[in-house]
Amino acid sequence: MTGNRGFVKLDWLTIFLYFALVGIGWINIYSASLDDSATSFFDFSQVYFKQLVWICLSLVLIIFILAIEAKFYERFSSIIYLVSLASLLGLFVLGKNINGATSWYVLGGFSIQPAEFAKAATALALGKYIGDMQTNIKEFKHQLRAFVIIALPALFIIPQPDPGSALVYAAFIFPMYREGLHYVYLLLGFFLAALFISTLAFGVVWVSVGILAITALIYFKNRKKKKTKAVNYIMAAAVCIAFVFSVQYIFNNVFEQRHRDRFNIVLGKETDSKGIGYNTNQSEIAIGSGGWTGKGWTQGTQTKGNFVPEQQTDYIFSTVGEEWGFLGSMVVVILFLALIVRVLVLAERQKNQFGRVYGYSVGAILFVHFFVNIGMTTGLLPTVGIPLPFFSYGGSGLWGFTILLFILIRLDASNSYYT
Amino acid sequence: MATEDKNILNRLYIIAGCMFVFAFAVAFKLMNIQFVEGEKYRDLAQRNTTKNFEIPANRGNVYADDGSLLATSVPKYEIRFDAVTVSSEDFKEHLVPLSKELSKMFGRSASYYQQRFRKARADKNRYLLVAKNLGYSEYIKVKSFPLFNKGPYRGGFIMDQHTVREHPMGKIGERLVGSQNKNEPGVYEVGFEGAFNQYLQGKNGRRLKQKIAKGQWKPVSDNNEIEPQDGYDVISTINVNIQDIAHHALLKQMEYYEAEHGSVIVMEVKTGEIKAVSNLGRTKQGTYYEKLNYAVGESHEPGSTFKVMAFMAALEDKVIDTSTVIDTQNGTKRFYGRSITDSRRGGYGEISAAKTLEVSSNIGLATIIDEAYAKKPQKFIDRLNSWNLNSKIGIPILGEGKPMIPGPGHENWSKNALPSIAYGYNLSLTPLQTLAFYNAIANDGVMVKPRFIKEIRKWNQEVETFETEVINEKICSDETLRQIQDILLNIVKRGTGERLYSEYFSMAGKTGTARTEYWLPGWEKDRKYISSFAGYFPAENPKYSCIVVIHKPSTKKGYYGADVTGPVFKRIAQKIFTDSPRIAEIDEVDRVDEAFASDFENYYNEVQKTGTAVPDVSGMAGMDAVSLLENMGMRVEIKGNGTVASQSIEPGAAFRKRQIIQLMLK
Repeated sequence: MTGNRGFVKLDWLTIFLYFALVGIGWINIYSASLDDSATSFFDFSQVYFKQLVWICLSLVLIIFILAIEAKFYERFSSIIYLVSLASLLGLFVLGKNINGATSWYVLGGFSIQPAEFAKAATALALGKYIGDMQTNIKEFKHQLRAFVIIALPALFIIPQPDPGSALVYAAFIFPMYREGLHYVYLLLGFFLAALFISTLAFGVVWVSVGILAITALIYFKNRKKKKTKAVNYIMAAAVCIAFVFSVQYIFNNVFEQRHRDRFNIVLGKETDSKGIGYNTNQSEIAIGSGGWTGKGWTQGTQTKGNFVPEQQTDYIFSTVGEEWGFLGSMVVVILFLALIVRVLVLAERQKNQFGRVYGYSVGAILFVHFFVNIGMTTGLLPTVGIPLPFFSYGGSGLWGFTILLFILIRLDASNSYYT
Repeated sequence: MATEDKNILNRLYIIAGCMFVFAFAVAFKLMNIQFVEGEKYRDLAQRNTTKNFEIPANRGNVYADDGSLLATSVPKYEIRFDAVTVSSEDFKEHLVPLSKELSKMFGRSASYYQQRFRKARADKNRYLLVAKNLGYSEYIKVKSFPLFNKGPYRGGFIMDQHTVREHPMGKIGERLVGSQNKNEPGVYEVGFEGAFNQYLQGKNGRRLKQKIAKGQWKPVSDNNEIEPQDGYDVISTINVNIQDIAHHALLKQMEYYEAEHGSVIVMEVKTGEIKAVSNLGRTKQGTYYEKLNYAVGESHEPGSTFKVMAFMAALEDKVIDTSTVIDTQNGTKRFYGRSITDSRRGGYGEISAAKTLEVSSNIGLATIIDEAYAKKPQKFIDRLNSWNLNSKIGIPILGEGKPMIPGPGHENWSKNALPSIAYGYNLSLTPLQTLAFYNAIANDGVMVKPRFIKEIRKWNQEVETFETEVINEKICSDETLRQIQDILLNIVKRGTGERLYSEYFSMAGKTGTARTEYWLPGWEKDRKYISSFAGYFPAENPKYSCIVVIHKPSTKKGYYGADVTGPVFKRIAQKIFTDSPRIAEIDEVDRVDEAFASDFENYYNEVQKTGTAVPDVSGMAGMDAVSLLENMGMRVEIKGNGTVASQSIEPGAAFRKRQIIQLMLK
């Protein structure tokens, strides 16, 4: 039995990191959700107890994932992906609106958020596509197809509305880059992001002036070279400036006020701590008041005072910051980095392209979640509501990440079998 | 292939590098928040959002031995006015009636209040003091005044509550009961309040609250983080009556003699319970108030009251007998180059040892002690020490004075020390320490520790009771005891205290007249004395011991113990016995007044018949008739008083609710 042999080859370091994060996460959920209404520890209405049940159930899930043969994931990835897309589309009909977003199916007492599972499905599908002998990611046609695979679920998620979850799909640029996507895409991505942010920060005029100045500078430096044509530079500058103006336009006309506010706060344009920046401000107060070693478990005044909204879910890291201080926060950061690095190592040692693409996808998704979430709670990034993997309260999220990670572990375990 | 590998590796590094750059940004931001700006955020967390509120524990009460209150905490209210929040219509409309009501209540003119409120509004004063130290009922009344009844937002009514400590006994015994430190409210150090603070204070609770609006705080959870524990009640040994008697007896004498300060202690002989402590000090205006706890804290030269101790030492060591003849010479005798004089000119000549004490001869006592102990002074000092005279009693009240009895080798020791100590100089004791010794004489030699506390209670539950503590099982032989008791009795009968003698009740004690501040220049011109009297009563079966000490009485009026302090002692003794009611047992009262019983029956029968018809109330007591008819729903008008002679609606007639019926009473 391949499965049994594979079990022995499990990457226990990754599993250890997983359980460490889940355990620490639960401890913080316990603290953040503790209030007077609990009659006993075993109170099913309490958030921490529900999460404990989810954690226990994910053990079952893990065994299930590991028991399935590795080849299954590759072979059925297309079907999984299609089912996942269908589940996202189904939300438009059967979805339940919770907190303003139609992102959930409610079955009895449970609510399930299909977007959390779509990430793993997309990673599988992308792996399958890129791993196909026919596919050459350096060709534009194939790049476009890969892009469609990635963009479809994101497009279905955006109108829920859940732009945060959709943003995560940007992570797939990393596995594609690893497989040979030209670095220009990566640079272009960063460049556009930089333009976007600087437009909002400094305004259209200054950014345009800056673009013209830089273009001119590069042109005069390069003009003696043969290929240099002024027209190209003017074109490039014009495209950039057009982009800047479109950013301005989109920001003012397409974005909603709350989105604009979120950016403005991070960019330091507005500092109203009671209104729009309330979440981030409270989160920063909680983290900042933790100091070196924090106030101690369940001793956080900000946590107990329920100042930080959504503290058990998206803002769980503020509990870490307040109660465990800088040291505790750094432990969590290091654990995440260790896990991500380990995942990349696993990805790199996969013997087939499918596994490698999948592994890179896992690492990139985890990283984007980690970076965006902690960036948000610390005020580094605008408020983007995505959970911190393994930490944030929520069964779908926990299961989604568990599936994501353990499929990789399963694939990795079967590698030895292939050789 | 190699370049391919290298390319791949580079890509791996770029990806990992990107991630590390971002992760570093996160770590950097964290560091920034927690350290660079940490102070700011900690401050914000503290100030802006949640706060731990102390929930003050209710301080326990101090009770007298019979359960009357000596000290208790009561809420007091301060009324303030927010002159800004009120609308101008409301302000205009209610200003005059409000001012009138305030004027009626607090006595200042209505225009005074009007002017104040107008000025406050002009100044935008949001916290104008209207009245303070109001009791609860007064607060409720003020709250109902025009404008104020509109509440804090529309009416500008602000109430601040605080707790104050009240002494229902007033100034009497104030020092003993104690109070909080004037500079540090809430800190209790002196008197009972300080002594039993650990019982009284309780434990403050804590409640985490979060700020929800300007000045408003919402508790974070349903329960207090730490529940406050109320303080225990302290039942003291003080007896309100005796305290009152002692206070007034002392005050009267102090006022007459214009003395500087003085104190009285009354102690129950058997138990050591202190029944009264009064301390009075003179103000510049010549009035007296409870200034310092002299009774406990002031150690001074006791003078003649100490002769008893010296004499007892000699008796107990059998160096003299009561009948030993002592030559007191002609009123002056030199000891080691210093003369000692007696108060009687010409002296007492040769008298018995007992007599030296009765007449309080300085020479007599000095002679007895010097002759007996000059060669072995330590023996005498040891004897005094064995009676615990040279050590603090160890009472819980702060500031007990330290006694000082020098022995050989002590810095205050000299050849003259021994004869000086014999008649109460060159040593110091507090009044309480002296009294404890006299109490032991009264208590057949058992020296008990003076105590101020009977019991600690929580609501009605006993928490701790305090038993009598014996300091010294037996201070001397029965023989010595009997002799000294006789002498103390004789002092009042025929000795220095004979003016105090009364045939109606017996008391025993020793007068004392000590010079004080004699070491200061000019003493001869402006003599200062400490007059004292220590003893117990009734002499045969002592119930209370008592000491009275008055410092620096006006020498124009007198300074002898017998004149100044003796009468205080006598008045206390007398009053305690005349005021203590003999308990007359009265048999249970169970007589039934027949007329009363029949009236009641009559009324009861009519009540039973309530219906729609007017009852016959003639002959019924007016009060009963009114109650009966009004309970049925009628309105009663009465004329005259007594019993009902006639009624305006005939019995048996139907009536309507609220119909008026007139009754003629005779």
